[in-house]
Amino acid sequence: MPRLRWLIQTLVAFGTNAYLLFPFGGSVIYQGPLKAVCHPGLNCYSCPGALLSCPVGAFQNFMASLRFSTGGFPQMGVIVVGYLGFIGSVVGRLTCGWICPFGFIQDLLHKIPTRKFSLWKPLRWGKYAVLGLTVVAMPIFLVDSSGLGHPWFCKLICPAGTLEGAMPLLLLKPSLWSTVGWAFWNKLTILILILIGAILISRLFCRVICPLGAFYGLFSRISLVQLEFVEGNCVECGACSRKCPTGLVPNKEIDSPECIMCLKCVDSCHFRALDFGIRRPPGKPVKVKRAASPL
Amino acid sequence: MPKQFLLLIIFFTVLFIIGVNTGDLTYLLNLGATICLSCIGVG
Repeated sequence: MPRLRWLIQTLVAFGTNAYLLFPFGGSVIYQGPLKAVCHPGLNCYSCPGALLSCPVGAFQNFMASLRFSTGGFPQMGVIVVGYLGFIGSVVGRLTCGWICPFGFIQDLLHKIPTRKFSLWKPLRWGKYAVLGLTVVAMPIFLVDSSGLGHPWFCKLICPAGTLEGAMPLLLLKPSLWSTVGWAFWNKLTILILILIGAILISRLFCRVICPLGAFYGLFSRISLVQLEFVEGNCVECGACSRKCPTGLVPNKEIDSPECIMCLKCVDSCHFRALDFGIRRPPGKPVKVKRAASPL
Repeated sequence: MPKQFLLLIIFFTVLFIIGVNTGDLTYLLNLGATICLSCIGVG
């Protein structure tokens, strides 16, 4: 399973950033029809190789231009909410564990052999504040005189935008350097802190800041796919919690919004107390599987 | 399959269809074709 996950993460990261003509075309980013589709994970649409749009960036822009709409039906970004809600309803945060390119980058960084630290758990609430404030409220309410807001998460925080968008674009188009201001240096500092943090603390950005992870986390108790726990097989050995990249105790925190369904816990359990499957209706118990020998 | 899941899927599919039919798709396409100055850190 770990190899399959690495393979999928690699294929998605490179496959969705596969536009290689950026040095030769008129524009340094892909401008084709695929940009009408959002990436299920966090992937900057200004990345020169990006084929898809960023759902967080797109939603903020919808919110930012909500008051700016003149006549006709206001563009409310329901297409993004519908798209992300559909994905969240089916797979929840599995997207974070298997699909998200920025999650993949953090997984790679965490492989650097250094001393590792655990996260102070209350910080996990931060991502909900980031989602509510910088992705929804600020783009709607902090508007200029013409009624146009800004994508504040992209502008102030997004490390994926700095790494995948800003840095390659500034290298490819040096003329853009004249336009960068305090926001760039602020974001660069945040990016460096997050990248160092990802080496020391597993999935730091996903657990503390990511608004997309916060949104998908809302579906953790109702998504179609889920982790299953067979209580009778559990011997409380703690193998699952030692492997969990988000610091959970999987046998006690089934359906946690923090779970990215990487399935490391399922692989680590020799007693088949954890499994992955389709959610059953309430009242239908998980089918008890015979515990395998730990040897 | 839980009933809640089916209701959610229907709800989000309806939202998606509304978005497609109210011009969100064109907006998204135009947005994706422009360099995001906020991502670069202009300002």
